[in-house]
Parts: sequence; C-alpha cells; structure tokens
Amino acid sequence: MAAETIHPVRNVRYLRPQEEWNEIPAIYLYLAGMGAGSYVIGVFLNWFVHPSQVISILGLPFDLTKAAIFWGPVLVALGAQFLILDLGIKKRFLYACLNPRTSWVARGFLILSIFILLGLLLLVKSIFPLEGLYPKSFLWYVAELIAIFFALATALYTGILLKATKSIPLWNTHLLPLLFLVSALSTGSMAIILSTLGSGVLATTSGALKALMRAEQIFVVIEGVVLYLFLSRRYKAAEQGKDSVRLLLFGEKKLLFWGGIVLLGFVFPMILEGIASFSHGNVPLIFTAGLLLLLGGFFLRLGVLRAGIKDQLPMLRLMEIEYDNLVARWGSLYQKKK
Amino acid sequence: MEGQQKVLVVDHQKCTGCRLCELVCSVYHTGASNPSRARIKVVKWEHVGIYLPMICNHCEKAYCVEVCPTKACHREPENNNRVVIDRNLCIGCRTCIIACPFGHPFFDLQERVTVKCDFCDGDPKCVVFCEPKAVTYVDADMVQMPKKRDAANKFIASIKQVRE
Repeated sequence: MAAETIHPVRNVRYLRPQEEWNEIPAIYLYLAGMGAGSYVIGVFLNWFVHPSQVISILGLPFDLTKAAIFWGPVLVALGAQFLILDLGIKKRFLYACLNPRTSWVARGFLILSIFILLGLLLLVKSIFPLEGLYPKSFLWYVAELIAIFFALATALYTGILLKATKSIPLWNTHLLPLLFLVSALSTGSMAIILSTLGSGVLATTSGALKALMRAEQIFVVIEGVVLYLFLSRRYKAAEQGKDSVRLLLFGEKKLLFWGGIVLLGFVFPMILEGIASFSHGNVPLIFTAGLLLLLGGFFLRLGVLRAGIKDQLPMLRLMEIEYDNLVARWGSLYQKKK
Repeated sequence: MEGQQKVLVVDHQKCTGCRLCELVCSVYHTGASNPSRARIKVVKWEHVGIYLPMICNHCEKAYCVEVCPTKACHREPENNNRVVIDRNLCIGCRTCIIACPFGHPFFDLQERVTVKCDFCDGDPKCVVFCEPKAVTYVDADMVQMPKKRDAANKFIASIKQVRE
C-alpha cells in the first residue's frame, strides 16, 4: 500500500482528483451533516432528559435550553447558502429542484428545504412555549418525528450525493453515506455540548452532559471503524479507488488525512476528553477537544472530496500501453546510440 | 428517428496535436479564439508523441443527463439523438462534469454555465478543419468499418503470403 509513482498517462488532467467540488461544497456537506446530526441528538435529549431553563424576554417566556439543542436547522440553512454560493449563476438556485426523478442534487434540495422549514417551526415553538401554540399537542410530536426523519435523510443525503457519482470509485459505496451519517452524529452531539458548555444548561440536568459526551465518544469510535472499512474496501474496489486511497494516505493529501482527519478529528479529541474526564469536566479542555473534533469533521469531507479520482476509460488504458511501448522503443534506441 | 444517427469518431493515431479543432470550436461557439473555451480538448504526451482528442460521446446512458438537477442537460432524440445543455436552464452546479467518466462537459468561466459538444448543429467544425482527419463525423453503424477493413486487408495479405 506504499506510495507509487502515478503513470504519466494516468496523471493527466482527466485522471487527477476532481477539482470541481472543493472547499465550498465541503463546508456545505459539513454544515448540513452537523446541523442534521445535532437536531437528531437534540430531539432525543429533549424527549428523554427534558432540560428546561425559562427566562423572560419582553414579557415572553424564552427557553434557553431549547435554543441550544434545536439549532440544527439554522446550521443546515447556513450550509445551504454555501451550496448557492458555489453555483455558477446563483440567482437560478430555485431551478435546482426541477429534476427530482433522477438527480440527487434536486432530491437534496427538497429534503433540505423541508427539514429547514419544519425544524425552524419546531425551534420557534420550543423556545417560545406560548399557550396559543398548544405546545403539548400530539401533533407537535408527529412533527418532531417527521423532522427527525428528514434530519437523518439530510445527514445521509450528504453521502448519497457523492455516492451517486458512479464514475468515481472512492465515492461509489454504501459506506460513504454511513460514514457521513456517523460523522454527522458525532459532530452534531459535540456541537450541542459546545453550545451549552459553561452555561450550566445541561450540567444542571442530572448526568445529561456526561451521557451526551459518552454518546459522542461512541460515535467517534464507530466513525473511526467505518472510516477504516471505507478506505480498505475502496482500496480493493477498483484501480482508481486504490489511487484515491493512496493519494489520501501517502500522496499529496497525506497532510490533510493524517493531520486534519486522524489527529484533529480522532486522536486529539479522544486524548483531551480522556484527560478532561479525570479532571472533573475541565471546560477549556472539553472546549478545545470539541473544536478540534468539529475541524476534523470538516477535513473528513474535504479529504473525501479532494481524493475523488475518476474511473479509467478503456481508451486511456490503451494509451498507457502505447505510451509504455513507445518509451521502451525509444529507450532501446537511445541505448544503441550510446 | 429520421435518417441515420451520426457520431464523432477519433483516430488518435492520425492526430498531430495541432489543436486547430479546439480553436475553431471556441470561435464557433463563443466568438473568441480561446482554446480553453472549446468543447473538444486534445490531451498530449509530447515527449512520446501521443495526442488524444477528447470529445463528448453523447452516451446512450448519459450520466450528465441523469444527475442534472434542472434538466438543462437533456437528450434531443429528434436532433441526431444528441445530448445538449440548455444554457438558459443551467445553474452551473458542475455535477455533470463530475459525473461524466470522459471528463467532458466544461465549465465556461465567462458565461458561468456548463457547456458541451452539440455537434455544431449537424456540421462539426472540428471535423471540417481537421487536416489529417483524426476526427470524423460518420454514421453510427459505420464506426467500426475502418477497423473491419484493416482486418480484412491483413487477412487478404496473409492469405497471399501463404499462396506464394
């Protein structure tokens, strides 16, 4: 699995990693995933722990806790802005839903729109528990269930969007949506921890913060396992899958992988959180671990995007053979001349 | 379908790498003599003398059509079954570029949309101007004819050798 020189024919523009989707789509995938993950975790937290800290703003009741745990749709909406920012003609962004029959971009547009609208509605209802909105109504629970479904769909969609690209072997696997889903849950739970850290919102509720941190650590471990499976399977899947994994692990992108994904996303957060658990929840340590984990989540998407190499075409395989023959022939002529 | 479907065929062994096809393509479609805006690209390995013109294959199962979120990229069965991009519908998401295994549709930085080969509405300029005839526009069922002819000629030559 060591680094090998890429064949000159394979090293042409067409077979180098794709450069169409770069930082901006990575931010979009990351924010959409993290927002969706934090929403799922937030709703479960609300169902099972019921954290609540109501204050009064201009005579209206305002629940601080809900603002912290239901902010997922805001992140997803923010991420969607990056999708629009990446378009060639931004004012035409509404056209992006015209072909949901076959296009995952169009399907994603619809999934994200429904999730953002429903999530924002539930966020408003949760932070302003006004009597006129009937906050205890059964219908709100149904709406929450639907929102969870769309949140999970959003998290999975970020992976499916890439998986739908059949010509890039690194992306064309069921493990990618799973990897992005687990990453969405780990970064999402960490986003909730960070947003409530130091405020005492979750710490005052019996063991909520501890349970959330434990859940986040489990997600990180699962993410590590899925990442290993993803890379090892892709390495064996196709020649360009192998090239992509090599590029990420030993090639130009090795700093991004080992530094950004492995160290920032897995090793440092685990070590810091381990130390923090011995020092009775040291807030600065948890905060640093959280920030690093969130950065790691972003680099994971960026790394996967940047390492996507397209399948080799039969005609380029022919070129490779022809190239080798010519080099051999010219090499022998050169030797004779000498 | 009216008439015989025609396709572009590349014979890389005839290509000299002059890139005139890129130039005329760019002039015809954009009015600018800027090869980076052409719908055909010649990939070169100069030191061994290999030149490969890359063109759109207007695939039967076109991934670019499948992934386009706006239906801007569509097939025109009535028009030589070609796959074209409607620039008034394209949002410039570049999904088609990523999906195409041939790396074909190109993002036009000036127009901010994705563009691709449209056979120049039935008279491909790359074919007209290609001196060594490395790019040809032939009936789809004639694509293999030169190879078949070559094989037949070799067969005849070997039979002659045996007889002598």
